[in-house]
Amino acid sequence: MINLEGSLGRGRGPGFDVMMLDVIWVPEFARAGWLLDLTPSLAPGELDAHFPAAAAAARWDGRVWALPWNFNVGLLYYRADLLARHGLTPPRTDTELARSVHVIQAAERDPKLDGYVWQGKQYEGLTCNALEALWASGTTLLGPAGEVLPDGARAEDALARLRGWIDRGISPPWVSAADEELTRRAFGDGRAIFLRNWFYAMDLFQEAGSPVRGKVGIAPLPQHVTGVPAPGSTGGSLLGVSRASRHPEAAVALARFLAGEIAQRVLAGGSVLPTRTALYSDPALVAKRPHMPAFHDLALAARPRPVTPAYLMLSTSLQPEVSAAVVGVKSPARAVADARRHLEYALSGIR
Amino acid sequence: MGGPDMALHTLQPSSRPGEAGALLDPNARSSKYAARLLEERRAAIAFVAPAVLTLAALTAGPALWVFWLSLRQRVPVFGIDRFAGFAHYAFLATDARFWSAFRVTAIFTVTSVALELLLGLGVALALRGQRAGRRSALGLLLLAWALPGVVTARLFEWLYHPAAGLVNVALGVRFNWLGDPALALLALILADVWRTMPFVALFCYARLLTIPHVVYEAAAVDGATRLATFRFVTLPLLVPVLLVTLLFRTLDALRAFDLMFVLTGGGPAGMTETLTVYAYRSLFQTLRLGFGSAIGVIVFALVMLVAAAYLTVLRRQESRA
Repeated sequence: MINLEGSLGRGRGPGFDVMMLDVIWVPEFARAGWLLDLTPSLAPGELDAHFPAAAAAARWDGRVWALPWNFNVGLLYYRADLLARHGLTPPRTDTELARSVHVIQAAERDPKLDGYVWQGKQYEGLTCNALEALWASGTTLLGPAGEVLPDGARAEDALARLRGWIDRGISPPWVSAADEELTRRAFGDGRAIFLRNWFYAMDLFQEAGSPVRGKVGIAPLPQHVTGVPAPGSTGGSLLGVSRASRHPEAAVALARFLAGEIAQRVLAGGSVLPTRTALYSDPALVAKRPHMPAFHDLALAARPRPVTPAYLMLSTSLQPEVSAAVVGVKSPARAVADARRHLEYALSGIR
Repeated sequence: MGGPDMALHTLQPSSRPGEAGALLDPNARSSKYAARLLEERRAAIAFVAPAVLTLAALTAGPALWVFWLSLRQRVPVFGIDRFAGFAHYAFLATDARFWSAFRVTAIFTVTSVALELLLGLGVALALRGQRAGRRSALGLLLLAWALPGVVTARLFEWLYHPAAGLVNVALGVRFNWLGDPALALLALILADVWRTMPFVALFCYARLLTIPHVVYEAAAVDGATRLATFRFVTLPLLVPVLLVTLLFRTLDALRAFDLMFVLTGGGPAGMTETLTVYAYRSLFQTLRLGFGSAIGVIVFALVMLVAAAYLTVLRRQESRA
């Protein structure tokens, strides 16, 4: 950030033309004036080939600032073999998930087999888990007019739910310090029944020599409230063009090529997941990665993290409060009140 | 510790003691000497000026700049720069996160410094009593202290690992040292004690070596027990050096950053977030320069207050000696 403020902010040539941006950065870079407005260079409807959640991260203030390049969505992984052995179907709700954990743990009698693992450590991954919890409780972090945590009661319910997984013994206490890799390894080593993680983990589970190879199923995140969808949050990266670029036409052409179908198909043959909907039913790719069609529906329902230039401020102010609730040192009500105060103050500073 | 006075002493022409005496005599009547005094005073000022100016440029200047920043709402990425008065301070005054960081800093400082002093003193006494291998013991002590903070932190990350860590294996427990809000701060304090206890030990050991043997012989002649010797001979002679180490260690601990930044990032649930970590997160992670500076100013004021308190005690000690 500081380096970029130094090199991009002062109008000096930064020495690069095209930059890869994580989904959360586009609006902030756009507002800082570091990104070239791509709107005039694009064909009408050019972004429609991408998943809506991927395209949403590219737009801010009515303009397009970057092109979606690769994608990730939060979802539920489950041990299909364990569920089948105990006559269970993939859980669709919290209640079903909790019951599955109880049934399997009681029958397997393996003290090393944890139930539902997710990311509770105080870092960006926690924000993703918290956002998914807010959505599953039927509310959001930012209201339509930009108000912070518009529905306090539902926000408290969301935090109580996260803490509840641990309190009720569905999740092991160590999830409060866990990130993506720690939870992926636990599940990948066969030490957990359910896992919340991103698309990318699937390839690793299916690798030769993986203890869970061929035993992993995928499902949407469990629903908390009947009738309220529980979408996964999105990750991935986009391509932007530096406003200080000395070769803007060539840079835009490169970004469009890399975000285009040919380049994304090539990349999807490796370990990257594309943002283009059509590629998820591409026969050659599906033959190589059979789980891609299942990802399609999850990606279609996914929701981006709040698209705002203040994202980093919001996320870093939110994390300690959610973490406090997950660990149990603050009540959900206290955590929501403190989070709201911090977020409102941070937002008031950049208005 | 007035700079100009000290410079004046060093300027005394030592080869002519008579003149030097006259120079210091406030009632020197000779105008020749008065002129000389003035001249030397000027020279003294010229000699200390670089030091004073450097200090001003490197310390006072930035400190004032940060204070000015703390009165502003400044987010350079978005081109925001406006006067905010004491709004940041007002927010912090009722900010639960700030008071939590304040509490963490206080607990960390008091506990780690107290433990370091006690252990360091013990190690120094043991070292003095040791017959063989003193040199290698000193080398090993220095090793812990000489490691960069980040390396120490990484070391402890593995020692504290819930499943594979040596600490749990050695104690036969399964504690989640860094993830448990009740344990994380203690884990950091222990790591800090391991790292900086040698600093205290070396200072005390050096002082112990300079205590003349005759003092102990006199005590022995008086029939003092070992405990009494320590209480009435060793300890009083160590007090000045203990106070100096206490000052260094307290100021260091108040600014503690590296261990928590690497090991816990301030978590879990902010239970290890010190004021400096909070300031860093506000300042560098989100570039809220005004808000972050306000926390920085408070840390600065805290450090100054503690330093002033210690220096007062130290001066009193010196004048008593």
